[in-house]
Parts: sequence; structure tokens; C-alpha cells
Amino acid sequence: MRVLLPLPVVLPLLAAGASLALHRHRWLQRALGLLTLTAVLGVSIALLLEVRADGIGVVDVGGWEAPIGITLVADLLAVIMLAIATAMLLVVLVYAIGHPATEDTRRFFHPTYLVLAAGVSLAFLTGDLFNLFVAFEIMLIASYVLITLGGSEPQVRSGMTYVVFSLLSSTLFVTAVGLVYAATGTVNLADLAGRLDGIDPAIRNALGLMLLVVFGVKAAIFPLFSWLPDSYPTAPSPVTAIFAGLLTKVGVYAIIRTQTLLFPADGASEVLLAIAALTMVVGVLGAIAQNDVKRILSFHIVSQIGYMILGLGLFSVAGIAGAIFYIVHHIVVKTTLFLVSGLIEVSAGTGALSRLSGLTRRAPVVAVLFALPALSLAGIPPFSGFVAKLALVQAGLDIDQGLVIGVSLLVSLLTLFSMTKIWAGAFWGAPSEVEAPDDAGGDRALRPPPLMVGATAALVLTSLVIAFGAAPLYDLSHDAATALMAPDGYVGAVLDR
Amino acid sequence: MPGRLVGDLVLTAPAPLRRSAALLALLGLHAVLAGAAPVLGRRLGPRVLLVCALAPAATVAWALARAGGVLDGRPVTEVRPWVGELGVELAFRLDGFSLLMVALVSGIGVPVFVYAWRYFAPRPDIGRFAGLLTAFAGAMLGVVLTDNLLVLYVCWELTSITSYLLIGFDDTKAPARAAALQALLITGAGGLAMLAGFVLLGQAAGTYTFSEILADPPTGTTVGIAAALVLAGAFTKSAQVPFHSWLPGAMAAPTPVSAYLHSATMVKAGVYLIARFAPALAPVVGWWRPVVVSVGVVTMLVGGLAALRQHDVKLLLAHGTVSQLGFLVALFGAGWEEATFAAAALLLAHGLFKATLFMTVGIVDHAAHTRDLRQLSGLHATLRPVAVVAVIATASMAGLPPFLGFVAKEAGLEALLHEGSSATLVLVGIVAGSALTVAYGARYVWGAFATKPGRAGAPMAATPVEPPGAAILAPAVVLTVATVLLGAVPALADPLVEGAATSLDPRVEGVHLALWHGITVALGLSVLAVTVGVALFVGRDRMARLQAALPRTSSGTEVYQATLTATLRLADRVTSVVQSGSLPRYLQVALVTLLVLPGTALLSGPGLPDDLAIAESPLQVVVAALVVGAALAAARSRRRFAAVLCLGGVGYGVAVLFVIQGAPDLALTQLLVETLAVVIFVLVLRHLPERFSETSRRLSRLSRAAVSAGVGTFVAAFALIAGAARQEPAVSGEHLARALPDGGGRNVVNVILVDFRGLDTMGEITVLAVAALGIASLVLSGRSERTAGLAAHDPDEPAPATEADGPVGAVSSAGGDRLG
Repeated sequence: MRVLLPLPVVLPLLAAGASLALHRHRWLQRALGLLTLTAVLGVSIALLLEVRADGIGVVDVGGWEAPIGITLVADLLAVIMLAIATAMLLVVLVYAIGHPATEDTRRFFHPTYLVLAAGVSLAFLTGDLFNLFVAFEIMLIASYVLITLGGSEPQVRSGMTYVVFSLLSSTLFVTAVGLVYAATGTVNLADLAGRLDGIDPAIRNALGLMLLVVFGVKAAIFPLFSWLPDSYPTAPSPVTAIFAGLLTKVGVYAIIRTQTLLFPADGASEVLLAIAALTMVVGVLGAIAQNDVKRILSFHIVSQIGYMILGLGLFSVAGIAGAIFYIVHHIVVKTTLFLVSGLIEVSAGTGALSRLSGLTRRAPVVAVLFALPALSLAGIPPFSGFVAKLALVQAGLDIDQGLVIGVSLLVSLLTLFSMTKIWAGAFWGAPSEVEAPDDAGGDRALRPPPLMVGATAALVLTSLVIAFGAAPLYDLSHDAATALMAPDGYVGAVLDR
Repeated sequence: MPGRLVGDLVLTAPAPLRRSAALLALLGLHAVLAGAAPVLGRRLGPRVLLVCALAPAATVAWALARAGGVLDGRPVTEVRPWVGELGVELAFRLDGFSLLMVALVSGIGVPVFVYAWRYFAPRPDIGRFAGLLTAFAGAMLGVVLTDNLLVLYVCWELTSITSYLLIGFDDTKAPARAAALQALLITGAGGLAMLAGFVLLGQAAGTYTFSEILADPPTGTTVGIAAALVLAGAFTKSAQVPFHSWLPGAMAAPTPVSAYLHSATMVKAGVYLIARFAPALAPVVGWWRPVVVSVGVVTMLVGGLAALRQHDVKLLLAHGTVSQLGFLVALFGAGWEEATFAAAALLLAHGLFKATLFMTVGIVDHAAHTRDLRQLSGLHATLRPVAVVAVIATASMAGLPPFLGFVAKEAGLEALLHEGSSATLVLVGIVAGSALTVAYGARYVWGAFATKPGRAGAPMAATPVEPPGAAILAPAVVLTVATVLLGAVPALADPLVEGAATSLDPRVEGVHLALWHGITVALGLSVLAVTVGVALFVGRDRMARLQAALPRTSSGTEVYQATLTATLRLADRVTSVVQSGSLPRYLQVALVTLLVLPGTALLSGPGLPDDLAIAESPLQVVVAALVVGAALAAARSRRRFAAVLCLGGVGYGVAVLFVIQGAPDLALTQLLVETLAVVIFVLVLRHLPERFSETSRRLSRLSRAAVSAGVGTFVAAFALIAGAARQEPAVSGEHLARALPDGGGRNVVNVILVDFRGLDTMGEITVLAVAALGIASLVLSGRSERTAGLAAHDPDEPAPATEADGPVGAVSSAGGDRLG
């Protein structure tokens, strides 16, 4: 464990440096990236198995014990997130290599992508609030570069929204860290858990809400989400896919981590449930109002974050287990859908519903690859989204939170509705004439690059595996939630060794 | 866990259960064929439908083999785990009622597949159609076979999705797409309500096993709510008033789909659910019986009246289905054992005649290229065999002897008569509904096949027809033979119907079907219904005028449309407010959130500490004043370049404050970061106009100022309050103590940076390196797009730069706080 634990951070960082040195050799860059992420995936899975078997793993960076130095902590939640995130990073890298536009003229893509991977890993593994800030910065700076790489006009313009808003959240984050340190004299999460317990409840509450706002910006909860639908759709598809799949979920992870460890509640949190309901509703209404595939999908991200916050807000083992399951499902499905939107754009030349039509006939494989995750996202059985939704519905009704559960069910209907908008707009109807010039019969099959299709299909399969093999994953989520609801285990593992 | 399934409603003593892996295999066969059909279709053409028919055919064969034991009260079961923690088990159970449903779903499925084979001309997407139809059949089979409520929901939603794709199969036609969406949204909404109902029910009962819940139904308020939610699912699926609007629209589907969807699948799912729940819930949920029975009766009347108004014969039949579903719901919903028995018979009869009728409509449509009864004439002569089949099916529907429909309806009337006065109103409604059925049945036969009077009294010329092949009629003939045979010899249907009804309600035992009960009140009521029905048909012109004169009741479609429009409008409004596209507004919202959430929480805490010092040295005051001045100047500046320089001034001023405080390392870092920030800004400025746009109004400037001041005050106050709240010594004490002995350095800041918290530093170095990459990338792209004028497109966009500046300075300066 001591050897493995830092690797998900260290390996991609080292590889990023090497990749930069190799910027003239694209094939070496590719091989290095794939190799590194495969290795990290292997390490993550090994960590997952170890934590499952032996409990929380802790490493003092530089040999300085907590709370003097920085501690890396691998608990079940962290390693679940790490494993699924790394898997996504790997698959999307394959897709990006097959994507005609991502690598061209962008020799910095590979190093930056690896830095992003390192930042994401560090965010999951760190047991230190300030180090979490650093992890966010690593992740964000990489994302700033990725979102504007190649620098087309609309890209830079919407990248601006993203960067500025992220800077605001970074400012608030570091301010919050300062305030937490002022109030407690430590930034080690385990140490904080004990020390926050001793200070004035009003101040503790204010600190908790401040961190909620900080991470809420990252997670795109209501009313802090507006930056997301404006900035995601313009980036290259692989970049949008990995952002959509991972970055907001790092925010959700941070919310879950801090709210359960530092600010545990006795029962359902009305603030969180209200935020969850509003996020779900406003997000899905936004999706309904759009007419572009990526924009619809971007608003769905927001809406779905609401479900995760809902699970957390219930503050029960079942609720948090549901939230964790939901996150894993969502990361896979959301990434897939953005990859599919990339397939649509590459093969049909546009993502605007008004200009798409009849893709079931011209690209039946893309149609299937879209339909399955789309249904899953809307929570339609028997796909993974259904199991996730069911877990949350059961958890909510179990503690008489009928109202917010009712809202969540209504939102899932509206999600389905907005998906039919894409389906009826892009896939049904007479084959579109957008591509008419070299088009003989109008039914000519569209063939996106096989590597992209393969990567997307792999994710669709993953999502099916999550659905039909839901039992072990749910058990895992349940174990992780049980641990989160008893933070003493985490604190003990870090401080009393 | 076989032990869990033993609580069987049918039997007083637990019967030996028979386990079978075939159940799952049959569902798997549907899935495999559904997946393979699109590929097979390319080679086989429409014949792929015959291959797919193997799935329902195998199911029928298996069900027949198991029928004996099942009807004797020994259900076949199978349980496989799925998500045990959530109560989802792949539990299946073939009891008497499920057997009847399987007979419908698969037994009518086979003829429908055969019919579809002849119905479609070769087309490239026939394989996709065959796959969807097979998936639809499999999903429906799952609904009627599963013994787990959550799996039932899974299959239920699968029928919704597959029917969406089937109704919209002619996807180049806008009405088909709209009808598909309407069906999906209405049944989907009901399905979600049903899911909540199932979960409530399951939590109240402590199990999601259907048969266990029915054997020992939970009671209480929650169960009432659950029952209402479950009914919402059943009513939407079975097109009960007021959710019936989607079903007539769904006839936009290709006719084989309609034949299947209206007779044996989809709409029968809701009836199935009500049939299962009624005997258990009617006694424990007080309002169940009056509500369900009234909804059924009203639906029967509404559907019948609507059918009388139609000119499209397919639409006529579709409204007829609504009416018949109402009849079924009324009979099943009461939970009276005899009515349940009659309803089971009617379920079978309806499946047989309704599939037949839709098949005949499809043949007429193909042959005459119209379904408008005002244009069809003389088909009784030109399509004689079709007409014969249609007349028999209609007679069964109208409840005329000696067909199965008559036998079932007689049983229903008998059952209601036996219930006495409590059922009188129901009886009146059902007799009236039956009269309407006779009338619209006659209208269908007359409309599709009769020779009509044309202008000037002469008969209308016969509609030209293309004669259909014998094969397309064969499935309808098979179904008609069943209608005749089972009607003439009810004893053939009796074991199946009795077994089905007994498994729903054990009190049924001993009731039997009969063609002739003697001269009874029920027979009298039948005669009455037929007489009134014939009168309604004969006086159809007068009836039409009467209906036209009456105020039209909403068909439900208007409500659906209005809801849809309102939702879209709401979505547009909300989105235009929250997603204005203005970055300054987004930032403002975020900052206001900061004031509202943690801000108000802080108000309830202890106030500011008492012993506050303004400054420790005069120099601090001077520098602070300069920093504030530079910040104000940056905010007021009209020129971008000047603003950037002022911001640099703020950053450098903060660095000086660090120096005064005795932290030269920090100051150095601050200077570096600040310089980097200025460089990036200058690079960005290359793309932007020289001056800020002047669009912001005074009010918005004031509100921004207020928010900024508020946030500044909040953070300052919070810092003071938080600092005063600390109970325990900071870890920086440890750092100071151990820097030299353990860290080997006299400069504690250095030891922290490179040793205690070296990981942070490594991270920040990475950040700087990637930032450099970003700058390089910007410069490179700037070189290639030197002429790009970004800001010209969006006058509001540059403004946020002013608000972005603060964060950059603050990030770098606040970075030092951690060092305590």
C-alpha cells in the first residue's frame, strides 16, 4: 500500500514531463500516455482490492506524520472514484487518438492531459484540505489549457467564462482554507474533524456552507452552475467528455468528503435537499430549452448533480450509497454520451438538431451507442441509471422525504423527454441533406473513425456491466457509505497509528 | 430462496413449487432474437419476422406443456439474484393468471408476427422492426411473469420504450413521432408514479415479492398512497380516463403493431396490474373499489361515444379499445370474485377479437388505400373473406351469441347482478357501454364493408381494391376460429379462465363459463343492450347531430398539449433567466450565494472579537491605502491596459505588506506570480479592444459595488471571528519546533515549502509549468491568428476581466496563509 498509494499522482506527473520532451514524436507520446494510464488503472484496482480487504490505507508524504505533513489517504470512496476516473481517462485518451481534430497542431495535448490525470488522482487521495486546493489547481490549470487548446474563437471566448469562474472558486477556496486554519489551526482533514467539533457551532456551520459554495461551483450545483453549459460545448469532444465525466464529480466528491467527515449531520439536511431539488429541476429545464446535442447534454450534467446531492442530503447510509453508485454510473454514462456527440459531429458535421436527421438509417451503430446510455441517463431500466435512481428513491422514501423524491422522478421524466428530443431530431426522420454533395442515395452509411467507435462502445459495455452486475458495485458503495457515516474510522486511521 | 415464495394465495396448504430455468431462457430467447433481427433482416427481408416468431411460439409451447400443473395450482417459479440489497430479484412465477396472460401475449404474438411478415413490403429497416417487435413481446412477457415488483417495473418501462420506437416507426411522418412521444410521456409519467408506489408498498410489506405482498397485504396510510401511485401507472398504461388520449394516437403505428398493442400487450399491462392488486387492496384501501370501478365505467362510456364519432375505421377501433379497457378495469377493479372470473374471460375474448379486427383494418387499408368509411364501399363483395372474419370478430365484441365475447359479457352481467344493490350503478353503466359497443361495432362493419348510398340515391361505386393474398388473412382466421370455438364450447376455455381467476382470488372456485344460462335477467340486459345499440346505429345521423350539439368534452390530448407547451415555455423562461450568458451576472450570483449561505449562518454566531488593532505600523497603513487605491483605480479604469497595471500594483503592494510582516519568501513568490499574471493579461489584451465597453447601467454598477463590498466585509469579519474561535494550538507550533532538529533548516518557511509540505510545492510548480504551456499555446495560436478580433462578437464579454483580476491577485497572496 505504501508503495502503490502515491503512484496514481506520481506516474502521470513524471509521464507528463517525458511527454513534453517527446512533443515531436506523436506516436511515442501516444504510447506513453496509454501506458501510463493503463498502469495507473492497474494500481487503482489494486488499491481498491487492498482497501476492501485491509481497510483504509495512509501514507505520510515525506515521512512527516499527520498533522505536520501532508497525508495521502485511500479509503473506499477515494479508491472507487480513482478507479472509475482512471478508466475514463484511459478510454477517452484512446478516443482522442482516434479523433481527427484533437491532436492536430496541439503538441501539448498529451502532457496536459497527463497533468489533468495527476490532479484528479491527487484530489481523490489527499487527506489535507490545502493539498486538496493544490490538487484542484493542478486539475484546473490543465483544464484551462485543454479547453482552449487550438484556440478557435468561440473556444477561447467560452473558455474565458470557464477560467474566470474557476478563478473565482479558487479564490473562495483558498479563502475558506485560510478561515478554516484560522479557526482550527490545522488543515489535515482527520485532524480537522476533531477540532471543528470543538468550535462554536455557528462558525462551524458557516465554514461548512462556505466549503459547500466553493465545491458547489466545481460541482455545478444550483445556483452556481451557469458557467458549465456555456463553456463545455465548444471544447473538442474528447476534452468535453472527460470534463463532463470527471471534473464536476471531483467537486461532488469534495462535497461528500467534507460534509460527511467535517460537518456530519444528524439527519437529512434541508439545505442540501433544497439545493438538490433546484439543481435537478433547473438543470433539466435548461436541457429541454436547448437545440444542440452537446448543450442538452451539458445541462443534463447539472441536473444529474442534483441526484448526487440528493443522496448526500439524505444523510443516511442508503442515501450516500445511492449517491456513490449514482456518481459511478453517471461518470461512465455521461462520458459515453459526450463521446457519442463527438461521433455525431464527426460523421454528420454538426451537432445542431435542426440540421441533423435520419441517423438511424445512416449511422445505425451510432444510434445504438446513443440510445443505450441515453436511456440509462434518464433512469430507464434495465440500465445502470435505473439502479442508481432506484437506490435513491428507496433511500428517500425510507426516511419520508417524499417531496424531493417526487421531484427527482418528475425530473427523470423530463430527462427522458429531452433525450427524445435528440432522438427524434437527430436519429429519426428522413436522412439529412447536410452531407448531400457527395451523397448518392441519401442512405449512404456514415462511418466515424473505428477507434472512436471502439472506445465509445467499450464505455457502453461498461455501463451495461454496471447495470447487470449492479450487486457488487452497490455493495461496494454501501460499504463506502457506511464508512463515511462513521468518520471515526477515517480519523483513527490517519491520527492513531 | 424457494421458501419465501410459498405464501401462495391460491392454496390453503403450500403446494410443491416447480422450478424451471426455461422461464429465463425464453425471455433470453426474445432478447437474443431482438438483437439478431436487424442483422438477419438484411439477408432475409420480411421473413425475419417468421424467425422472430420462434420466440413467442416457443413460449406458447412451453406454457402448454406446463399448463396442467399450473392450472392445478402448482405455479412454476424461478429466482435469480440481481441487486439483492435493493430488493431486486429476477423472480419469475407462472401461476394461473400469468398463464392466461402468456396465452394472450405469446399466443396472439405468433399470428401477429405472421401477419406482419405478409403486411410489409421488403424495406431496408424490416430487421429493426422485427427486433423491436420481439423486444416488445419479451418485455410484455416479463411484465406478466415476474414475481418481483421492481422487475415488473423494469419490464413495464421496457414496454414503454419499445412501444415508443414502434409507434414512431414510420419516423419520417411527424404525426407518428408526436404520437410516439405522447404515449411515452403519459405512460412514462404513470410508470414513475408506479415506481414510487411499488417502493412504498415494498417498504411497508418488507418485501418486493409480488405474491407475498398479495398474500399478506400491508395496511395503513402509506399503503393508500402507494395504491394511488400504482393506479396512476395502471390507468395511464391502460388508457383510462383521463389518461386515455395517447391510445388513439398510437394507431399511427404500423397496423401489426396496433393489432398487438391493442389486444394482447401494452394496454393489458395496466389491466393485469389492477387484476392482481384488486382482490388484495380493495378490502384494505377504502376508496379503491368506488374509484377504480367508476374510472372503468366512465372510460367505457367515453371510449364508446368517441368511437361513434370516427370516420377513420382504425381510429374507430382504437377508441373502441379504450372503451373495452374500461369494461375490463371495472370488472377486475371491484375485487368481487365472480366479476374477476368474468373479467378473465373477457380479457381472453377481447384479445382474440381485437387483434382480428385490427388485422382486417390493415388488409382493408392495404387493399383500398384508405381507411375513411366515407370512401369505402362495396368491400363486402370484393373482400368477402375479410368481411366474414370482421363480422364474426365484431359480433364477439358486441356480445352476440355464440361467440366468446357473449359468454364473457354474460358472466360479467351475472356477476354484477349477484353483487346486488351495491353494483346497480355499475350495471347500468356497463349495459349502456355495451349498447355503445354494439353501435360502434355495427358502424365498423358497415363503414368498412357495406355498399353505401351515393349521391342521388344510387349506391356508391365500389372502392377499387387490390386483392390481398390468402396468407395475410390466415392469422386472422386462426384467431376467429378460436373466438367461435371457445364461444360455442365454453368448456374449452373454462379451465384456463377458472385457473386464472382462482389464482387471483381463491373464492372463485366453482364458477364456470356457459353459453346458455337460461332465461335470466342477464340475458334480458344483453337483449336490451343489443336493441339500444342497433337503435343507436340505425339512428346514427340523428346521433351524430346530437353529439355535435353537445359541448365537446376534452379528449385529454388538449390537456397533454397544453402541459407540454407550458413545460417548454417554463423551460425557456427559467433558462433565459439563469443562463443569461453574461459572465458578470454569473459571478454576482455566486457571490450573493456566498453572502446568503455562509453569510447568514455567521450572523447567528459570536460577534467580532473585542480586542482589535487597526495596524501594527504606520507603513502598513500607507501601503494598505495604496493597495486600496490601486484596486479602486482598476475598477474605475476605462482602459484595459491601465486596469491591468493597477492590478499589478495591487499585487505588488500586497508583496510589500508581506515584507513588512517579515516574510520575504512570501513576498518573492507573490512578485513572481504577479508578474506572471500581468504577462498573461497582456497576452490576452492583444485580442481585446483598448477600452472596456460602456454598456453597463448605473443600477447594475451599484449592485455590483454592493455585492463586492458585502463580500469584502463578510470575508474580513469571518477571518476575525474565525481567528478568535480557535481552541487548540496551530500545527505551525510543531513546524517551528521541528524545523531545525528534524527538518534541518533554520528558515521555517523553507522547511515547510520543501519538506513538511513539499507535495504542495511540487503541485504548484506543476501549475506554473502548465501555465507556461498555456501561455506558449496562446502565443503560438496568436501568431497564427494575428488578425483575430475576438471581442468584436460579444460586447459584454470583456467586462468580466475586471472582476477576474481580483481573484488572480487574491489566489497568489492568499497562498501564504497556510503557513500560519
